[in-house]
Amino acid sequence: MKLLQKTSRIYLFASLTIYVAVGIAFFWSIKYMIYDEVESRLKVEKRDFEAYVEEHDEWLDDAYFVENKIEVTPTHGNISDEVIFKDTVILNRYEGTLDPFRQVTFYASIDGDPHRVVIRKSMIQSYKLIEAISGIMIAFLALLMVGMFFFQRRLSGKIWQPFYESLANIKDFDWTKNKKLELPKSEITEFNELEDVMVKMASKMQHDYKSLKEFTENASHEMQTPLALINARVEQFIQTGDLGKEQTYWIEEIYHASRRISRLNQGLLLLAKIENQQFTDHENTDLSELAAAKLKDFEDIISHRNIQVNLHCDEKFIVNMSPALAEILIVNLVNNAIRHNHQNGELSIKTGTGFLEVSNTGNALRADPASLFNRFKKESASGESLGLGLAIVKQICDNYGLQIAYHNHESLHKIQISV
Amino acid sequence: MKVLVVEDEKGLAESIVEYLTREGFICEVANTFWQADEKISLYQYDCTIVDLTLPDGDGFDIVQTLKKIAAATGIIIISARNTLEDKIKGLEIGSDDYMTKPFHLSELNARVKSLIRRRSFGGNNDMIWKEIRVQLQSRKVFIGEKEAILSKKEYDLLLYFLANTDVALTKESIAEHLWGDHMDSYDSLDMVYSHIKNLRKKILERGGKDYIQSIYGIGYKFTAP
Repeated sequence: MKLLQKTSRIYLFASLTIYVAVGIAFFWSIKYMIYDEVESRLKVEKRDFEAYVEEHDEWLDDAYFVENKIEVTPTHGNISDEVIFKDTVILNRYEGTLDPFRQVTFYASIDGDPHRVVIRKSMIQSYKLIEAISGIMIAFLALLMVGMFFFQRRLSGKIWQPFYESLANIKDFDWTKNKKLELPKSEITEFNELEDVMVKMASKMQHDYKSLKEFTENASHEMQTPLALINARVEQFIQTGDLGKEQTYWIEEIYHASRRISRLNQGLLLLAKIENQQFTDHENTDLSELAAAKLKDFEDIISHRNIQVNLHCDEKFIVNMSPALAEILIVNLVNNAIRHNHQNGELSIKTGTGFLEVSNTGNALRADPASLFNRFKKESASGESLGLGLAIVKQICDNYGLQIAYHNHESLHKIQISV
Repeated sequence: MKVLVVEDEKGLAESIVEYLTREGFICEVANTFWQADEKISLYQYDCTIVDLTLPDGDGFDIVQTLKKIAAATGIIIISARNTLEDKIKGLEIGSDDYMTKPFHLSELNARVKSLIRRRSFGGNNDMIWKEIRVQLQSRKVFIGEKEAILSKKEYDLLLYFLANTDVALTKESIAEHLWGDHMDSYDSLDMVYSHIKNLRKKILERGGKDYIQSIYGIGYKFTAP
């Protein structure tokens, strides 16, 4: 839910509640005041009545002509002091409607006899007044609420404007580029503080990205050059020709070790680069097509080990990713499936919408399957394996939000990549 | 054939020069950007080998200058930077080849030779060694008068040998030449062996001599017996 929507909603809800509560309270207070007024008039008439009865010791219906009805009925027993106010309705003689009245009932002795006296006052006018006042007040209140609602909306919109601009700029911000994050200045201190923090964070991110990028470049150069020198010297050395068996063995070891370091260095730097998201070019890559194409590079070794290949790559599996990484992903998966395969084994690649499966026959897994994608987790005893291939695959998958899973069914190992 | 080696690591430059000199090239070395800049403006080279990361400049600038003043020079970049962008950029601004460090001297040698051959004959000449004749244009191989039908890998292997005759080639360099560096599996060494066996057989069957000498623990040498 959007911020403005949320505040509007809260505002609307709160103001409606207040509106209803105020409306009810208002109605009741008006009503109370009117009643109070009617009752005090009834009391005045009661006193008039009592004064009249005291003076004349009798009551004549026509003796005291008032707008109100005064009903006097003889009664029995003791006269109680209670005075009861009550709402009632009386049939209108002319219009046949029931009109509301307020009545006061009390007991008085007229000429020594107890009488019950009821004085009534019509409430028609009073009700009309209540209705009119309440109606007008409620209408004004509603107008005020609606006015406030729209005012608040506009105000919030205006106040939050710099926030939305900043948000848009932050969304567009790319830490792999050199362009600094720029946020609009606002009059509001909190927004300015937020802006300061964001700008600091962004420049820190850019700085970290850049320094890691430089590190990977430098490390690559600084390590590969001496390794190239070792390689070159070894090559020159073996040209001398008169090497004994032992020297040959040593030099071979040196050569192997240096090549291994070089590959290890490249592998680790590649991991660092992927982790640092240095591969910023994105393209819609069909992994299905790529897998089929890359498999051709492995033709020789596949036929050498007599591996049977089953390719089911009819459906496209399109991922928006760096083409270079897509290639590394596929090559590492295929390489892995061939390396851990046995002579006359099987290799199958299957793709469908949203998944790619590479499975191969091979020895049963000894290590914990969960640690399969960890760095330097080697399954094969052969010293040639670096233990980085699947870690790189996993890192690439993590970078693009792809799921990677390993399944094992008897001697069949399957790695599945899916969205 | 004159070759300029632009490389700041002196030892590596020395190795390259030594190796290429044995192969009959006349080599000169520039250890810095400015030396290289001076040399290319003063002399003509058939091929220039350029390292990208130099202490006082960028190898790409040398490639660009070379393209302007001496378009006939073949250019091979050697660099520790192995990103795709660098490779693409290198080829875009006019270098002919891009090799990632560490590389095999034999591979560099083969590429220099093939580059010069392409540049000077348009790939339209034959490679002849003793009774072996390779028609580069049509990719045909003759032993004496008889044609030998080679597989693609065998053909590549033969060319690699012919570019590096009388030199000990490591099994690894051959494997890498044939399959690139993603084939790091030890199987590739077995595969090298089987391709060499086939190639040797095909040459012998057509009356050639056995030129492929195996060197224990190291690899092979293509040389006159």
